[in-house]
Amino acid sequence: MKKEQFDSRSGMIVYFLRGSKRYFGFALFFACMTSLLELLNPKIIGYTVDSVIDQQGSRLPAVVNALVEKAGGAAYFRTHLGVIALAVVCVALLAALCRFLFQLNNAKGAETLVERMRNSLFEHIIRLPSQWHSENHTGDIIQRCTSDVEQVKMFVAEMLTALFRITLLITLAVYFMVSIHPRLAMASCAFFVVIITYSIIFHRMIGSSFRKADEEEGRLSSIAQENLTGVRVVRAFGREAYERQRFEKQNNIYTDHWIYLMKLLGAFWTSGDLISWLQILTVLCYGSWLCVHGQLTAGDFIAFIAYNSMLTWPVRLLGRVIASLSRANIAIDRLRYIMNAETEQETGELTPDMHGDICFDHVSYQYENSSAGILHDVTFTVKAGSTVGILGATGSGKSTLMNLLDRLYVLPEDGGRITVGGVDINDIKSDWLRGNIGMVLQEPYLFSRTLSENIGIAGHVSDMKQIREAARIASLDESVSHFTEGYNTYVGERGVTLSGGQKQRTAIAQMLVRKPPIMVFDDSLSAVDAETDAKIRNALKKNVSGSTVILIAHRITTLMSADHIIVLDKGRIAEEGTHDELIEKNGIYRKIYDLQVSQGELGEAAI
Amino acid sequence: MNEKTSLPLYGIPKILPYVKPYRKTIVIMILMGIAVSVFDAVYPLFNQYALNHFVALKTLDTLPQFIGLYLLCLVTQVTLNYTSVYICGKIEMLVDRDLRNASFNHIQTLSFSYFNQNNVGYVHARIMSDTGKIGELVAWRMMDIIWNGSYLIFVIAVMLATNARLAMYVLILVPFAVVLITWFQKHLVELNRKIREINSRITGNFNEGITGVRSIKTLVIEDTINGDFRKDTADMKRTSVHAVRYSGAFSAVISLMGSLALAMVLWQGGRLTIDGIIQIGTLSVFMTYALGMMDPLQSVITTLASLVSIQVNIERFTKLMETESDVADSEEVIEKYGDTFHPKKENWEELHGDVEFRDVSFHYPDGDEMVLEHFNLKVPQGTNVAIVGETGAGKSTLVNLVCRFYEPVEGEVLIDGRNARERSQLWLHSNIGYVLQAPHLFSGTVRDNLRYGNPDATDEQIMEALKLVSADFVIGKMDKGLDSEVGEGGDNLSTGEKQLLSFARAILADPRILVLDEATASVDTLTEKAIQDAIDIVIKGRTSFVIAHRLSTVVDADVILVVSDGKITERGTHKELMKKKGSYYALYTRQFEEIAADMVQHTAA
Repeated sequence: MKKEQFDSRSGMIVYFLRGSKRYFGFALFFACMTSLLELLNPKIIGYTVDSVIDQQGSRLPAVVNALVEKAGGAAYFRTHLGVIALAVVCVALLAALCRFLFQLNNAKGAETLVERMRNSLFEHIIRLPSQWHSENHTGDIIQRCTSDVEQVKMFVAEMLTALFRITLLITLAVYFMVSIHPRLAMASCAFFVVIITYSIIFHRMIGSSFRKADEEEGRLSSIAQENLTGVRVVRAFGREAYERQRFEKQNNIYTDHWIYLMKLLGAFWTSGDLISWLQILTVLCYGSWLCVHGQLTAGDFIAFIAYNSMLTWPVRLLGRVIASLSRANIAIDRLRYIMNAETEQETGELTPDMHGDICFDHVSYQYENSSAGILHDVTFTVKAGSTVGILGATGSGKSTLMNLLDRLYVLPEDGGRITVGGVDINDIKSDWLRGNIGMVLQEPYLFSRTLSENIGIAGHVSDMKQIREAARIASLDESVSHFTEGYNTYVGERGVTLSGGQKQRTAIAQMLVRKPPIMVFDDSLSAVDAETDAKIRNALKKNVSGSTVILIAHRITTLMSADHIIVLDKGRIAEEGTHDELIEKNGIYRKIYDLQVSQGELGEAAI
Repeated sequence: MNEKTSLPLYGIPKILPYVKPYRKTIVIMILMGIAVSVFDAVYPLFNQYALNHFVALKTLDTLPQFIGLYLLCLVTQVTLNYTSVYICGKIEMLVDRDLRNASFNHIQTLSFSYFNQNNVGYVHARIMSDTGKIGELVAWRMMDIIWNGSYLIFVIAVMLATNARLAMYVLILVPFAVVLITWFQKHLVELNRKIREINSRITGNFNEGITGVRSIKTLVIEDTINGDFRKDTADMKRTSVHAVRYSGAFSAVISLMGSLALAMVLWQGGRLTIDGIIQIGTLSVFMTYALGMMDPLQSVITTLASLVSIQVNIERFTKLMETESDVADSEEVIEKYGDTFHPKKENWEELHGDVEFRDVSFHYPDGDEMVLEHFNLKVPQGTNVAIVGETGAGKSTLVNLVCRFYEPVEGEVLIDGRNARERSQLWLHSNIGYVLQAPHLFSGTVRDNLRYGNPDATDEQIMEALKLVSADFVIGKMDKGLDSEVGEGGDNLSTGEKQLLSFARAILADPRILVLDEATASVDTLTEKAIQDAIDIVIKGRTSFVIAHRLSTVVDADVILVVSDGKITERGTHKELMKKKGSYYALYTRQFEEIAADMVQHTAA
């Protein structure tokens, strides 16, 4: 696995840019070509107006002039204006081609960049420890992976290239303008400086107003959201009128803020217009004056006006680009937060036989940011091939014990040891460890795939015979027969929603397909009724001989046939032994048993 | 996307009622918009004058007038522009606001079947996002068409007036441009739709990878999941780049068309200039127009094409507004008791709490199977009814009928001896307390939440209610007491605490009928006990319907109804049903063993 830490923003951008740099290189090259070509046409027009139409002397560079003379000089063009028009079209065609190649390469670069960002993020995220996932909100992480990624893409593919293109265009255009008439160029450029400064200041200032608009929208949105999720409460208390008033009030606040913003934006846009038009007026008057005094030709004047108007938009854009750079910084930092989080450490290399005894040796554990311990000095052994039951109330630490076994949580140095066949699990390769432990959770997660794909996913099994067999043992086959599409039924977020019991049985089938040497049932029969529970357990007994089984449950009936039973209470082992021993002991286990038996007089009924 | 396009004129007539209040402002906006673009088109004429007069005649005689006129135009145009942009933005916001209000308020009157058929995210998007798209259409899309359209018309008119022959050379290109733009646009709309689809798939993948991370780890399928993700991102890259081939070619072609027009003018116009038919300034202004015509043309066509996508938003909005509530008060009832937003409380009778189901048959609107058939049940004032059954067995049906969230298909539900339909929903709801399985609090302070059912409750009454359900400790440990924020959805509180507060809320409303959906979620022993005690207190003296999971509630109930597969299979008191040894008996014993396991361990330790 890669092991990169990004100490700086640019460091991470460079990392993400791997593979897309050359596209951006091409893009910038074609951007230069486009700008150059687009600046050529005003030159041609200026020459045409002055030398061809107005018949003044040519002031073209010597090389070009030689070429023109060879073709027949201004006189030739005067009768063959079509040739010039053709030249304009050719230049435009080339410019269009270059512009197309710029956009294409820029898009290739941008998309390659986004692809790499998303892939890196996704791969990184699923390898981050469970601890990290429980500390961070799903919605927040998704937002970072979607809108912040989009921001960074905009920053690189739009902002940076725009910055480059605009700077280049301005430099070239200003160069041409200066070469036509330095003082006129200075008069014109003075306005550009004003526009850029003005728009940077404006965008900096308005930033907070935009944030406020977002906040107000968020507030309005949550009022609507809460109203909808709490629709029963609203109706049952008959508070529709109040809700309406609440929504309308916030709706007004939000609307008014936007109208205020529109006022600001409108003022900004139109004052930008005003400055631009004033600039044109200045150029027109001063240029005319220069023409009248013989310091500027009509053709040069037309060319100058063309260059000037070419710059109007890019210059106004520049201010916005510069102002939005700070927003990109925030997005990059938010991604850096994810990319810099430590992935799970691979501490072991061993791939031992997993059919050995599982020993929990003085295991103690507490979560990083909590003072209360979850497990205290827990020691017990699960003999190879045996079945061990664990009984415990909510919060007694039984799930944590299993998370430690699967190394979803890592046991600290001083927290004891867990060994399988004598090998410390920290020395075992984690893929090997987890691959050999089948874990069925209380609330299993199904993926947006078909039922058969879900069952076969872990064992990479696609053979329907195996899948059907596993489903049969897990008592899932009956439910499947009710689905019109059977095993091809699409489940998960965008498919059929399964009931809790169906999910649990799917997860059991999923585990049975790979026949792991260690099987853990973490309260995984809680959502099926007692009869199905018994049926599944009987089927399992026949089919999983050789595997070591750990069974966590509330029901005594689920546990009583286990070879060894551990009663966990508040992170400590309260009692252990076989069912008969525990009954004899007259402790907690016995009390629970008595309660369940006497109250239900259930005995036979549930077994 | 299987939403078919069916409304005429992109559905725009459907939203006219929401635009109507602003029609005067809109007319002003349109007129201003036209004026603005006319001014935009006029500016090149100043260039023309400068070249034809100052430069050609080598005189500056009219310069002051020139500057004066220019400045006058400038000030007028800037003022008009500012006003039209501001009005446009304002209309967008106001129409948005009205549409949001209308949809939100309409949703308040819809019956529960609507919420069962449409998930929260979907309905939320109808209020918050469709409305925004429509507002944008009414304001900016319309403005785009007006600005660019009138600019084009004016430019063409000026060109024709100045020199019709030269104008024709430019105009001949327009049909070609239109065809090209339309062709590209069609492909781009399709490609963009595809991109959005892949994009939502990728977001879904992220969601799956993050929420399912534990399963991915325990199953060791990181590589499989990763591989699938890479397929989607590669697909995204391919499609996006493909789309840029079109959009890039599109913009290249547009700028090429502009240059083509320019070359035309230079060629033919140059000829005319050499022959002295037109002046250099005129040639220059023609070149400016020729080059600047293609962008507005493109804008008009693109805007028209985008109407297709907005149509979907209009359809969804219209569909929502046309959805009618399955449960509605009759004209006479509204006449006497008022509607949802304007109650006539002076006509409301007091509610005592006698409930009777008389020969009630019922099925849900989205199913045909009868879940109740000729059901009869008398619940005199103060009776405690417990409803038990498996998860998903349909225990809420009776409760839904009592609250009139649904109405019987046949028969009637009587409240205090009169058909529930004879009085308004609001009257009934104002007299019913409802405590949910998943307690729902609104963001705001504790006080706001507790007063939800009784806006006039004093702090003393609130504290009293809190003490009654032993929830005063919750307030005690919060910094600002009753003024403490509960967070979005009450996130600052634990489930058990939320549960207790919702009991206090119900008590403050002091309803005659109480509906209680007990929580199944596991809470710690202390809270469990507190909740149990709270329930006992809350239901005392009121007619209550409890969807029960807790043993004591069930055992002490006056009537127990057992629901299985949506139907009521047994009814009687605890003793009667235990004797019967039927499904209640089985259910009871099984629940007991689980609860007992937890309880004993805690007391023994």
